[in-house]
Amino acid sequence: MTAIATDNRPTQTHAEVTRDVVATLGTQSRGYTLMLFGAVALFLVGALTFVLLLKDGLGLAGYKSPVMWSVYITTFVFWVGIGHAGTLISAILFLFRSPWRTAVYRATEAMTVFAVMTAGLFPIIHIGRQWVFYWLLPYPNQRFLWPNFKSPLLWDVFAIGTYLTVSTTFLVVGLVPDIAAVRDKVTGWRKKVYTLCSLGWTGSDNQWRHYTRGYLYLAALATPLVLSVHSVVSWDFAMSIVPGWHGTIFAPYFVAGAIYSGVGMVFTLLIPLRKVLHLEHMITEYHFDNLAKLTLLTGSILFYAYAMEYFVAWYSGVAAEQTTFYLRAFGPMWWAGWTMIICNAFVSQLFWFKKIRTNIAALFVISIFINIGMWFERYVIIVSSLGNDHLPFAWGQLDPTWADWGILAGSFGWFLMYFLLFARTFPIVAIQEIKEMIPMPRKRAGGHH
Amino acid sequence: MRKLVLALGVCTVLALGALAFTSRSAVWQGPAPGDSLAAPTLAAGDTAGLPGPRQPIFFRHDIHAGQYKMQCQYCHYAAEVSQEPGMPSSQTCMGCHLVIAGSDSSSRAEIAKVRDAHNAGEAIEWTRIHSLARHAHFPHMRHVKAMGPDACMTCHGDVARMPQVFKVNNVTNMGWCITCHLERNVTRDCSACHY
Amino acid sequence: MSKETNEEQRPGIDRRQFLTVAGVAGVGTAALSGCSTDRIEKLVPYMVGDEDHVPGVATWYASTCTECPAGCSLHVKTREARAIKLEGNPDSPINGGSLCARGQAGLQGLYNPGRLLGPKRRDADGSYRDITWEEAIAELAAQVGSAGSDVHVLSGAGAGSFTDLLTEWVGALGGSLVRYQPFDNEALRAANQQVFGRGDVPDFAFGKAGFILSFGTDFLETWQGQVENQRGFAESHGYHDGHMAKHVYLGHRMDLTGMNADEWHPTHPGSDAVVALAMANVILSERERAPADAGTLRSVLAAFTPEQASQESGLAPEAIRRIAREFASHKSLAVAGGIGSQHRGAVEACAAVNILNYVSGNVGDTVVFRGGRPAADGYGALESLASELDAGRVAVLIVHDANPVHTVPAATGFADKMAKAGFTVSTASVMDDTASQADLVLPNLHALERWDDLRPAAGVQALMQPVMMPVRDGRATGDVLLEVARTVGGPLSGLDAPSFEAYLKQRWSNIAAARGRTDFRVFWQEALGNGGLFDEAAPGADVRLADGARRIGFQRPTFDGDGEFVFAPYPSSMLYDGRGANKPWLLENPDPVTKITWQSWVELHPDTAASLDVREGEVVRLESPHGSLEAPVYVYQGVHPGVVATPLGLGHTAYGQYAEGRGVNALDLVSGEDGAGFLPYLSARVTLHKTRRYQKLAKTEGNPRQLGRGIAEAMPFAAAVQGQTPAEVHGGHHEVNTEREVEAIAGWGEAQRERLDKGDYQGEHPNWGMVVDLARCTGCSACVTACYAENNIPFVGEQEVVRGREMSWMRIERYFEGGEDGEGFSTRVVPMMCQHCDNAPCEPVCPVFAAYHTPDGLNAQVYNRCVGTRYCGNNCPYKVRYYNWLAYPKLNFEEPLPLQLNPDVTVRARGVMEKCTFCIQRIRGAQHQAAMEDRPLQDGEVTTACAQACPSGAIIFGDQHDPGSRVAQAAEDHRGYHILEDLNVRPSVTYLAKVQHGGEH
Repeated sequence: MTAIATDNRPTQTHAEVTRDVVATLGTQSRGYTLMLFGAVALFLVGALTFVLLLKDGLGLAGYKSPVMWSVYITTFVFWVGIGHAGTLISAILFLFRSPWRTAVYRATEAMTVFAVMTAGLFPIIHIGRQWVFYWLLPYPNQRFLWPNFKSPLLWDVFAIGTYLTVSTTFLVVGLVPDIAAVRDKVTGWRKKVYTLCSLGWTGSDNQWRHYTRGYLYLAALATPLVLSVHSVVSWDFAMSIVPGWHGTIFAPYFVAGAIYSGVGMVFTLLIPLRKVLHLEHMITEYHFDNLAKLTLLTGSILFYAYAMEYFVAWYSGVAAEQTTFYLRAFGPMWWAGWTMIICNAFVSQLFWFKKIRTNIAALFVISIFINIGMWFERYVIIVSSLGNDHLPFAWGQLDPTWADWGILAGSFGWFLMYFLLFARTFPIVAIQEIKEMIPMPRKRAGGHH
Repeated sequence: MRKLVLALGVCTVLALGALAFTSRSAVWQGPAPGDSLAAPTLAAGDTAGLPGPRQPIFFRHDIHAGQYKMQCQYCHYAAEVSQEPGMPSSQTCMGCHLVIAGSDSSSRAEIAKVRDAHNAGEAIEWTRIHSLARHAHFPHMRHVKAMGPDACMTCHGDVARMPQVFKVNNVTNMGWCITCHLERNVTRDCSACHY
Repeated sequence: MSKETNEEQRPGIDRRQFLTVAGVAGVGTAALSGCSTDRIEKLVPYMVGDEDHVPGVATWYASTCTECPAGCSLHVKTREARAIKLEGNPDSPINGGSLCARGQAGLQGLYNPGRLLGPKRRDADGSYRDITWEEAIAELAAQVGSAGSDVHVLSGAGAGSFTDLLTEWVGALGGSLVRYQPFDNEALRAANQQVFGRGDVPDFAFGKAGFILSFGTDFLETWQGQVENQRGFAESHGYHDGHMAKHVYLGHRMDLTGMNADEWHPTHPGSDAVVALAMANVILSERERAPADAGTLRSVLAAFTPEQASQESGLAPEAIRRIAREFASHKSLAVAGGIGSQHRGAVEACAAVNILNYVSGNVGDTVVFRGGRPAADGYGALESLASELDAGRVAVLIVHDANPVHTVPAATGFADKMAKAGFTVSTASVMDDTASQADLVLPNLHALERWDDLRPAAGVQALMQPVMMPVRDGRATGDVLLEVARTVGGPLSGLDAPSFEAYLKQRWSNIAAARGRTDFRVFWQEALGNGGLFDEAAPGADVRLADGARRIGFQRPTFDGDGEFVFAPYPSSMLYDGRGANKPWLLENPDPVTKITWQSWVELHPDTAASLDVREGEVVRLESPHGSLEAPVYVYQGVHPGVVATPLGLGHTAYGQYAEGRGVNALDLVSGEDGAGFLPYLSARVTLHKTRRYQKLAKTEGNPRQLGRGIAEAMPFAAAVQGQTPAEVHGGHHEVNTEREVEAIAGWGEAQRERLDKGDYQGEHPNWGMVVDLARCTGCSACVTACYAENNIPFVGEQEVVRGREMSWMRIERYFEGGEDGEGFSTRVVPMMCQHCDNAPCEPVCPVFAAYHTPDGLNAQVYNRCVGTRYCGNNCPYKVRYYNWLAYPKLNFEEPLPLQLNPDVTVRARGVMEKCTFCIQRIRGAQHQAAMEDRPLQDGEVTTACAQACPSGAIIFGDQHDPGSRVAQAAEDHRGYHILEDLNVRPSVTYLAKVQHGGEH
């Protein structure tokens, strides 16, 4: 650890760290309250839209045969993607012992859990008879019927389910010592709640030994999921014979995209949050710089993937594939196609410059571009491919309606609502790991008191 | 904590078990099956306790099908030629009841209802007891042909012993069909019934 | 499937039982519950047992179609005493077993939500009030009694007992009867009178011709008997063992008939006469064995040179000569007089074509005069009636089975003239444009609810019988007339038949007597059961040229106004003269040429559109001296650059909820004045103004080009004769797999089959398959309506079609070929339905096994298991899976439409996927039947609705595992291919490539 003692890392005492982080809890700042209200409002829009969908059917949305999947699946994949940065940062980087993750990993983990929670809603929202969604689950029944394990949609159900369980456990376990720290600072009913949540944590060496070991195993367990989940999601498309979907490149391509979009979302969330919660001195340019490098890497992978998609389409010699990709660039949806390429492939290249990597304002703007770009990537892949496949006579172009945008907005509301409430209730910065990075003070201030 | 987890686990197992066995419907415990099929004479009071919905006319299957051993298809003639079993026309009733007026007062009253309805040209609106969802096709004639005269009892229960017909088996439950098709090793192809 | 009469049982059931029995079958709103679990609470039996109606078993009645004058015979399928499907009567010499889309849609006339509940009387303030039939008839009787001989009747009924009764009735009153049908071949009959001295319409033997030449005549759409023509056309033009007639189409617009031509030449409108005469001239001057008296025409014809004709028509002189020689060297047939090209010179045109046929020796051979085809009185008679009305000399006007306010150009002011009648009566069963001006409306019964007969063609006497209780409280006009006669007495006392049924039977007893049949009851039962009497058609009369033949000539027809485009309205093959406009099946069945539904449109040639800078969907205003209209543009290569074309049939001011205010009436731009005894549809020039407004076209077409994907294959006649395969014609276009790949795929397929050999899949099963012969398919879309009727497919309406959400399981894809930079323009059609792939991409992706493969090779869709992920729809390369985005049946099947629903087919609920099932209900039904009789299923015992309806016999259905079956043998044809074969999805539908004469297309 001493190797990085020279970096611009927090130079506070343990007590100060605890104080500052605990200060973020139950914040009353206006910025926070506004954001929370906004989120809840968006969520209500989505909820209302969903009620209407239940009442009248998916026809309210802009679906136009043959485009049978559109905005909902797009948004589903978008959120699953967002859910990737968290585990990557907290698990993989933990295993690699990269120091800069400490300040941000709690936030990203929370983001992961809530993003996957959001994504989990969409398989239900987008099916035609939402009230029988449980038929997708394998359970013994008097009809002797089982789901079709050949269907990638079923793999989805399991992939998402596993990922949600593991990432949630990971988050909760990571929280335990910090909750304990908070427990010792608060009073009244809050103390009772935090006591319950801290699962009797005392911080004894014994507990710490088991804890770190357990945490390590969880990290190891979570790591492969980062790769598996989005691979499975990508197979929803790659396993089909739709021109523009039917590609072996999809799994790595989607995973890279997922991490790229996830990190983008981390920027979008943390930059305002650290301001509102006054954590500038804990989440610093140093962290953002490293995150930006990660973005640059994954963005460049995307760049390659895009190029490769077009090359493969041309090289395959399959007329349908070639047409599909020609239309992506110059067809009725050219604007979406170029949005995706510019926002992802090109914008990410700006991170070659340290000036941009360390300029908070620039990072925030770019992160917005990344979010837009990644949403459009899925939109283009899904909608434009379906719109022009094998039989020209059956082609059709989608025009989305309020019902599409309503659910999209709702998903953001639902996600932000949870994230903000989390930030207000639990330490958004990992207290004990920050402390680990602080050079030992001469006089030991026994325990956390 | 551990207790809680345990409790949850147990609940889940029970729930799944319950789901798995909902199709096993109770076997009907009708009037004690004696040697003679003589139908009990029922006073007005006795009928109140009988299971099943009260029909506009208190038609006694136990008398017609039981005591007098009339074939089901005598009235429900369509069942052996058509997928729909069909209901007998009131003319069918009058075929016999022009001459049969009934043994006791209560039966006379009921038979009078039929006659009046027929003369008045009013259709008798029976309350439906068994009905499949429209997305399941059940060809009665195939089942009657395959399982012989007693075919009806398999699903509709021992109607010949019922003063008032009621639902014995949950025939609207797909498990009911599948179990039988499994036992008899006949088709379980979905499109045999669903189209 | 017995087809018996039902007169004995009829008194047994009353309407109430008809409805309640329907309740047993759970139709109506209950059936609409589809996959949901609504239950029918009550069981209501018949009052009197009816051997004719076993619940759950179909009863068939024979009847006759009245949707157009062709007089096709019907088999009406009834279930629980309500008609649920119309099919052709195989015994009929006119339509055989097949039926067109319009005919099948007759059911939606029967169950139309717009049908009047009873008679209506108009009050002084113009509003209508319901009255009883007694009041209505008393009123009519009073009016007729006081009107004396000033009673005029306008009737569209075809020749038959009703028309005879009407004639007697009007005759007895001393009034006048005008029989009027919009498309009445007046010009053709006038020309026949002039050239052959007889004014009847001959039979055209398309089936015998080796060379068919059409002068802008849509004989596959609305001209004469469409189904009859199409059957003949398929017989001669459908490729079979090395033979195929050639079809050349000369006209300003490529309509469905033109689409099926081997050559289409866009000629200037109005030039057909001179072209025909020039051809006759060429033939006569080059040919020895012309009919003897044809020689006398030489001098007359000499004046008409191909060069002159070329100037008039824009058709090259060489082309004229070539076609003339081909025409003369085959057993040929030329037709003219189509409504779509009826200009002021129509009589000359028909006369010229008569000459052409005559000099080629076709008259008496492919053009046979039997005098069997009844015609109405023609447009001239209607005009004189109009002037009578205008002069106020009409006390009582009775309009029966006609809608002149819609079918006569507004320019004639017919509506205003009608208003001058003392008292107007309409027998329309729906408040149509004319009825909504009448003082008294006496809704007639639908043809399926009443007695009548028709004499549509030589040797055909077709019967109609009530196949069910009336849906609405109408009354057969025949009975009304007789009752009025009884009430009025006096001159009418001669008409003493108690009912029209009795009147009809009386006349048929005479027929029986004339045939020496003593037992009338037996004779009558037979006749009803067969649908009438179908006798051998009498041999044709020996026809020679009349003096008028030498008076043939040509002068350029005039077009009113100085607009730059000739306005060409044409009859819609779906809506006919507009009577189809209240039937959703027809409105939603895409126009075979443009693929547009529910709307009116204006067709422009691409060059014209470019020069005017208008795009598809831009609303333009057309102005002629007679009026103006606004409609969106459809840019179509197949229309002459100097012409704008618009379909007829829409633009009703009233005609039920589906028709009212929908689209525009193209007749608004047309001159009504004529004098020549026919309505000149092409009589005006129009100017075109842009409105800068846009309207999304409700068309089912995505991209009209094949993009070289080998979807609709065609091969030159020569290649077909050599027995080449489509692949060979393409130079191995389909050979994408190397030998090793082919082996691998085969081995994989074997493995699949082994893995399938479990449970229900063990043992021998049929493998249902289909063959579609593109050389026979014309794209008429009769199969589409058949599919709607058989499978309870909901119509979705204009806005949803714009959204691309039409549910039609059967889709006729229409592709354009060539047309760019001068190369020949042609079209191809492909009926596209679920291909029931043996290696279906839709099956593995369904997470709940709603889409799965049945042991008998069907790709089944279990509606009630479907959760609606739509993955199958995405993965289907043929895009034949249709999704219930909204609860279409609940939204659109208004009472009493649900009574038409087929009880054997689940009505799909919102949120589930559906698609073509190969009519699995028919397959299972036939299997049950065979099992009940302990015998195997025979080939041909089960066929799909589309195959049954197809007038061309282009679709063959059966068991591909049975090597003897028709389908298995047809699939072996060298023209056979699978669409998107490269995907290795193993479709069960084999297409036989289209064959075209001449290499140019």
